[in-house]
Amino acid sequence: MNPLKLTLGIMTAVGGFVDISELVFAAKAGSQFGYALIWVFALGTIGMSVFGEMSGRVAAVAKQPVFNLMRHRLGLKLGLVTLIGSFLSTLITCAAEIGGMALILNYLTGVSYLLLAAASTVALFASMWILPFKWIERTYGLLGLMMIIFAVALVAIHPPWDKLAGGFVPQIPRGLSAKELLVFAYFTVAILSAVLFPYESYFYSSGGIEEEWGPKDLLTNRVTCTVGFGLGSLLAISILASSAQLFGPANVGPEIPGTSALEAAIPFGTWGLLLALLGMFFAVSGAAVETCMSNAYAIAQFFGWEWGRHKEPWEAPRFTLAWIIVLLVALLIVLTGVDVMSLVEYAVLFSIIVLPLTYLPLMLLAGDKSYMGDYANKWLAKGLGWLFFAIITVAAIAALPLYLLTSGGQG
Amino acid sequence: MVRASLVAGLLLAGCSKGPAADLQYITEARSAAAEWALVNNQAAQGKLTPTYVSSMHRWLRGQLKSSSTSLTQADSRYGREIEALLQEPDDAHPEELRAHSDKLKQIEDGLEST
Repeated sequence: MNPLKLTLGIMTAVGGFVDISELVFAAKAGSQFGYALIWVFALGTIGMSVFGEMSGRVAAVAKQPVFNLMRHRLGLKLGLVTLIGSFLSTLITCAAEIGGMALILNYLTGVSYLLLAAASTVALFASMWILPFKWIERTYGLLGLMMIIFAVALVAIHPPWDKLAGGFVPQIPRGLSAKELLVFAYFTVAILSAVLFPYESYFYSSGGIEEEWGPKDLLTNRVTCTVGFGLGSLLAISILASSAQLFGPANVGPEIPGTSALEAAIPFGTWGLLLALLGMFFAVSGAAVETCMSNAYAIAQFFGWEWGRHKEPWEAPRFTLAWIIVLLVALLIVLTGVDVMSLVEYAVLFSIIVLPLTYLPLMLLAGDKSYMGDYANKWLAKGLGWLFFAIITVAAIAALPLYLLTSGGQG
Repeated sequence: MVRASLVAGLLLAGCSKGPAADLQYITEARSAAAEWALVNNQAAQGKLTPTYVSSMHRWLRGQLKSSSTSLTQADSRYGREIEALLQEPDDAHPEELRAHSDKLKQIEDGLEST
């Protein structure tokens, strides 16, 4: 295990953990329910670590990316349904991330939002075309580490640590009306979806194959998934906790992503604001790249095309064309003027619905000794895998009714 | 039975009118007013950049306009309150904005309890 590679992997995972949906839902959850939803972030992160580790292990040992498995394990029809569902949800997420980038740049520069959306897309295209795979991931992940300002800001505002720690215990707050309970349930489902976005495991496992992981990389994979994702999740929890402390009592239920940056500005002033906005920008940009490439990976792997950013663009022409088209369609969605917050809501809703079908084939293959040999799931991975599969299946069934009954969490 | 109740609930959620249907827009407007007050308060202390402040004002005003036009009963107490909020200048005093937010919160709480 190379310590430098491991440290970079962890730092990249931390900086790349938060995306626009987590930013939005963490801030909203904190203002509306105080610390009571912290445990959902913690639970989702454990789930993400479990499935992330599995997808990395399968990539390292069986050299199988997620969508290749899906076609073989689910069959062509169900596999195609999953591909379409997951493609649409990831496309909407990509559009939400590009919209988020443009919004944050607008807070920094004041230039027109739509112009900035186009400029952001050009910048994403250039970075994805020019940079080698490893550096695409690292550049955005490492620059996203500026988000640590949110954790520092939380310490600076002296939150009630005992109440905050109590938020890690699974709970439903007492005294909620029936409607508030529905909103609480909606937030629970939405946060699980935002943390467990399917594109994250597509990108992570495809990245493992791009970087030619083998069994020697399994420890790095395990540490990155547990420590990296765990520390990344603490950033989202910091946003939630600061929101509970600063926004909830002021009746602010953050309606736009830029409000979250106030959490750093209140204790640290202008430089806190700028660091928060830049950290948010790079974290969201990294997620835009991941969603765009994940969709290209998914299509190419499902149909058995040549794929991979480690290849020259013309060596995998259909894969290259796929990510360019995804990027352009995502931009077109943003240019229609649709609200970024609505895109975030739709992305979270669609993602949770396809999540069980994404993780089922992965779990089956990770537990299959004929593919995985000694590296097949042991009792802990198996138990946690099925537990989280049950949780996301319940969440997937509840998502649409909760969305409609609560008007997207508005009550 | 459960399925029928769920379907009925979903239909009601999609078709209702009046203050109950407007509640989500009142909540949005109340929050936007409170965010506006917080931004102006921090700006007065020199903690924000002018570009951030003007961008936030633009987005929050857009949010309020959207809430206002989505109301099914624009000529109501809350409709008039949101309209009054929209008449405030960008650099309105935080206390003024907070007063609007508090009024909307009272209306929201009243509607929720009924």
